[in-house]
Amino acid sequence: MSLGRLAIKRSLQGVGVVWGVITVVFALRFITPGSVINAVAPLDASRETRRAIAADLGLDQPIYVQYVQYLADLARGDMGHSYVKGLEVTRMVFQRVPATVELAVAATIVAIVLSIPLGVLSATRRNSPVDYGATLFSLGGISTPNFWLGIMLILIFAVQFNVFQTSGRGVTSVAVLTSLVGPEPFVGTLLEWLSYITLPAIALGTYFMALITRLTRSGMLDELGKSYVRAARAKGAPESLVRYKHALRNTLIPVITVLGLQLGTLIGGAVITEAVFAWPGLGTLVIQSINLRDWPALQGSLIVIGTAFVIVNIVVDIIYGYLDPRVVYD
Amino acid sequence: MPQDERDQVDRRTLLKAVGGATATVSIAGCGGSQTTPTEGGDGTETAMDTTEGDEGTETSNEGDESAFEVGVTLGQMDSGLDPHDHAETPTNIIVSQAYEGLMGRDKEGGIIAKLATEWERVESGTVRFTLRDGVTFHNGDPVTSEDVRYSIRRIETEEVGGALPQDGDLAGSKALESVEAGDGEVTVTFGGLNPIVFALFATNGQIMQQSWVENNENSYINRNTNGTGPFQVTDYQSGTSVSYEKYDDYWGEPAAADEATITASSESATRVNQLVAGETDIVTNVPPQEISRVEGSEGTSVSPVPSTRIIFLQMRYDVEPFSSQQFRQAMNYAVDVESIIENVLQGFGEVTGQPTLSQFTGHNPDIEPYGHDPERAEQLVEESGHAGVDITLQTPIGRYLKDVEVAQTAANQIDSLSNVNCELQQREFNSLVQDVTASSIEDRPRFTLLGWGNAEFDAAQTIIPLLTSDGPLTVLKSDEVDSLIQEAQSEPDPEARRQTLRECNQLLHDLAPWVFLHQQFSVYGTSDDIEWQPRPDELIDLWTASPN
Repeated sequence: MSLGRLAIKRSLQGVGVVWGVITVVFALRFITPGSVINAVAPLDASRETRRAIAADLGLDQPIYVQYVQYLADLARGDMGHSYVKGLEVTRMVFQRVPATVELAVAATIVAIVLSIPLGVLSATRRNSPVDYGATLFSLGGISTPNFWLGIMLILIFAVQFNVFQTSGRGVTSVAVLTSLVGPEPFVGTLLEWLSYITLPAIALGTYFMALITRLTRSGMLDELGKSYVRAARAKGAPESLVRYKHALRNTLIPVITVLGLQLGTLIGGAVITEAVFAWPGLGTLVIQSINLRDWPALQGSLIVIGTAFVIVNIVVDIIYGYLDPRVVYD
Repeated sequence: MPQDERDQVDRRTLLKAVGGATATVSIAGCGGSQTTPTEGGDGTETAMDTTEGDEGTETSNEGDESAFEVGVTLGQMDSGLDPHDHAETPTNIIVSQAYEGLMGRDKEGGIIAKLATEWERVESGTVRFTLRDGVTFHNGDPVTSEDVRYSIRRIETEEVGGALPQDGDLAGSKALESVEAGDGEVTVTFGGLNPIVFALFATNGQIMQQSWVENNENSYINRNTNGTGPFQVTDYQSGTSVSYEKYDDYWGEPAAADEATITASSESATRVNQLVAGETDIVTNVPPQEISRVEGSEGTSVSPVPSTRIIFLQMRYDVEPFSSQQFRQAMNYAVDVESIIENVLQGFGEVTGQPTLSQFTGHNPDIEPYGHDPERAEQLVEESGHAGVDITLQTPIGRYLKDVEVAQTAANQIDSLSNVNCELQQREFNSLVQDVTASSIEDRPRFTLLGWGNAEFDAAQTIIPLLTSDGPLTVLKSDEVDSLIQEAQSEPDPEARRQTLRECNQLLHDLAPWVFLHQQFSVYGTSDDIEWQPRPDELIDLWTASPN
């Protein structure tokens, strides 16, 4: 199958998956106990007021009418209006996307910067104290729930030592970049940005970091035992060239695959971390929407998260096929 | 070029490209939404549009070392900035910094003048407000009697405002008949005598500019403000934060704070962390387990205040064993409320014995709470004929201060009676409310922990919805209670009405439709850098905060 046909096939499958997500999320509201009216109307609202609010929100229509209407609106890029806040959901959701992407990318960077050198070091010094330390670290990273780690980081580095902010977002990365040319001092803006993002990025990226460390270590060990490495060494190639140009490069192919997939997971999986750090991203919006029974906002958030995940998967799938010609897609 | 070599080159190129793309996405993704709403409007908006982007807005006091700023962290953000389109406390706190009504309340709950300087009842169903001169909206336009007329009609008339949850908040049970805008005054006529009309206007009914509302979409009104209050909104991040600056042309005493910011975190530990780390000045709902941390930290303290919320266990009068007055009284004797307050709520609560709190009109000071008397409780259960009965108490999870723990303790105390078995069922609040607000009493839960806030400071506002036969949440049908409330609601003389409500409270104490638990306290954590006193109605009046 050619790459073009693969891309088209995967994209069509992706559309099917996103439609499935939309349908499941839409159906959830009808099987979840409680009513949105209780989130909007006061407890002592009269039956007439409740009925009027339901009619105003279109909730008095049959389910299939609401569903078809929702799909039609969605096709036009309209995710509807929040039941509780009265705002356009499209606006609410996409306003949160940058914060979530920023956190996911920062967590990924934290993970990559630490995990790959650690994995390489661990593999090249196998059974040494460094290897044991790295293995222990990665085991701890995988086993530690990120919400607990987040709380501990806050208590130690924000409350006790007052080095970082406890929560919130503060300045954005764009503000940091614009401070390079603007009147704001660059270093001050950068430090302020770091004071907000460092702890959530570590909390979110630790699991990922541990995963990549293990993957790099096992991949490197695998590659270093292969015949082409022996051949390179036999030719007298320097050890650094053998390790970093040959073995590491081949090890990175599966690592990049996991990186891509994990980025999708980070976008959708930051809900708990965002809640702990009051990070104003999609995860926080999901929690707020659930608490308020704000179904349009919840649907919009989940659709965007689901779509992002599907897109990342498709892209990784295609890149993987391209990177490794041995992979055959039937 | 051989096939394998070409592939190798492509792969390298691609790896580089992926690396470059990742870096680009990182930078692009890190960008905030730069949207600044400028759409819609009638030309008046531009004077006070708030920005809604991640960059925020630099205010005039940015960088001014002497500027006094106040930060607040709530448990939950607003449900939009439309002051009429909400029915819950967080939104009220946020919009009240920018919007005002004709009347307001002081720290003790007393009625004070706001946009009206005088008010009078001209006939039994008609009241007149004299408007304050020289008041302007934040866009600079003067407040007119037409704006006041429009605001009242927007709340009370579906044709004007649509289906708003505040419907009835000004009119009470008497429908709004007409609003006449005169020269510097507004006359409002209801379908009959409304004895608590001024209490309702003191709590509800913020004034909006008619042209501004009519010329803008709902979604715009929900993310921008144009009020008359001491602060105007400068930056609104839906669900995240609201920033204010002092309104320089405010009609009254200006706020001491130059800027204010309200944010929220649903996690109480996060709120307390922010306070202790000096990132905010006021946090709401400090849970008992966090009080020692706030008190023990340098520069922070706990500020408790009795709230207007009463917590109780309601029992349905129409099903056994709760149909027995003796059994209901037995439940009151079985629960040790003082112990709950002392051990579960760390002392932050006040024992009650009637549905009306001590600061409210109609409270009966002669009523003593039931008190803890398990032997008397067992005896009353025997007399009721329900010895050996199994009952289940339902409680919401996380809705009220320590609700599950309070319900657990109460259920254990009832269960420890020799002739009653009591179990606890925990329920998600929204699901429980679905049952509590069921249209038929037969579909409502039999035994439930609930709380009720009453910002009007009047007994009728609790008794009518919860304890009269036609109340939307009632668990009681008593002709005597109905008759007394009806008498109170048609009594123009305040003192005579107060006596009737006291009588009604005595009757309700005896009927015991609730296990009367406690008056909930609002527990705030505050920074010692500011001087601010909390108030019972859960409103946070930032304009009264000053540097310490």
